[in-house]
Amino acid sequence: MAKPFHELRERLLRAGVAPRHVRRYLTELTDHLADLRAEEERAGRSRAETESAALARLGRMDDLAKAMVDQRQFQSWSVRAPWAIYGLVPLCLLSAAWCVALFILWSGWKLFLPGTDTPFVQLHGLAIFYFGVGRLLYFGAPIVIGWGIGLLAARQRLKVLWPIVGVVLIALIGGAAQVHASRPSVLGGIGHISMDFALGPPGQGISTGLFHALVILSLAVLPWPWLLWRLARARSLSGF
Amino acid sequence: MAVRETNPNFMNGVPELLILRLLAQDEMYGYEIVQAIRSRTEAVIAVGEGVVYPVLHGLERDGALRSRRRTVNGRSRVYYAVTRAGSRRLADLSEAWTNLAAAIQKMLTGGQHGEAIP
Repeated sequence: MAKPFHELRERLLRAGVAPRHVRRYLTELTDHLADLRAEEERAGRSRAETESAALARLGRMDDLAKAMVDQRQFQSWSVRAPWAIYGLVPLCLLSAAWCVALFILWSGWKLFLPGTDTPFVQLHGLAIFYFGVGRLLYFGAPIVIGWGIGLLAARQRLKVLWPIVGVVLIALIGGAAQVHASRPSVLGGIGHISMDFALGPPGQGISTGLFHALVILSLAVLPWPWLLWRLARARSLSGF
Repeated sequence: MAVRETNPNFMNGVPELLILRLLAQDEMYGYEIVQAIRSRTEAVIAVGEGVVYPVLHGLERDGALRSRRRTVNGRSRVYYAVTRAGSRRLADLSEAWTNLAAAIQKMLTGGQHGEAIP
């Protein structure tokens, strides 16, 4: 990307324009600037004159930014409805991931452990891999969703309030979730998987659920310092 | 001669009309559109050239334009063309602007008021 557009990119993102629209705008501006430079060069201007004339013809930074920001249809959903993007969508994603994980648990129980009362027993062979995928999905989903929240917020240059709300919510739900498996005493009865949510009774110190939530939270925000560093770098490059 | 920028307050809807009119004839990319506007209006209408893109993107989002990427002389460019919906929009805008221009002309030459502009 041409250097003059670093500031424009930061201004547009901070004003809430969706990253994909910003990227497209800057790509076309870069192409346009190249055409203007070529035209000015053909007119016999010096290199320095070419650059300043091309930039002047392209438009002032304020006008270029305003033209895009004024088009409300290009606003990102992160800015229009942060409660949905950082609250509702992560919850839906977590629910979907857990549904798949629980299905893997239930089907694995039926396939590999038909005679046991619970699927939480020592596993052998292919069952280790099969249940492993489910476990990875179940335990990994809140963490990966937390990373996604951070990445999305960084791309949009969003303030940290909504991402924090989202990641804390996911961590609390992740920490409070418990999976239960039971098989009816009737012969040949189908195993039953259920979930409930409780942070657990506070014991001597911190409850188990709260401890799990803190672990999830710590892992979910692990890439955040790197993202913040990238943001600071983009800001210093743009001079905005 | 230095080109003076047109007052943006008088430009509401004008770039949209000019772009649709130009693209109704042939598909063009952004730089071509701006140069065509400049030459056909004899530089009377001149804005920062970059501001044409939000208008193009807005029209495309509204379904009035469609775009495709083409490589010409080794350079990849986004070409825009008018859709059927864009042609209808152009007809509506043209009619509104023709009526408005006629009404203003009448005012300037001291004639009677024309019909109300819809």
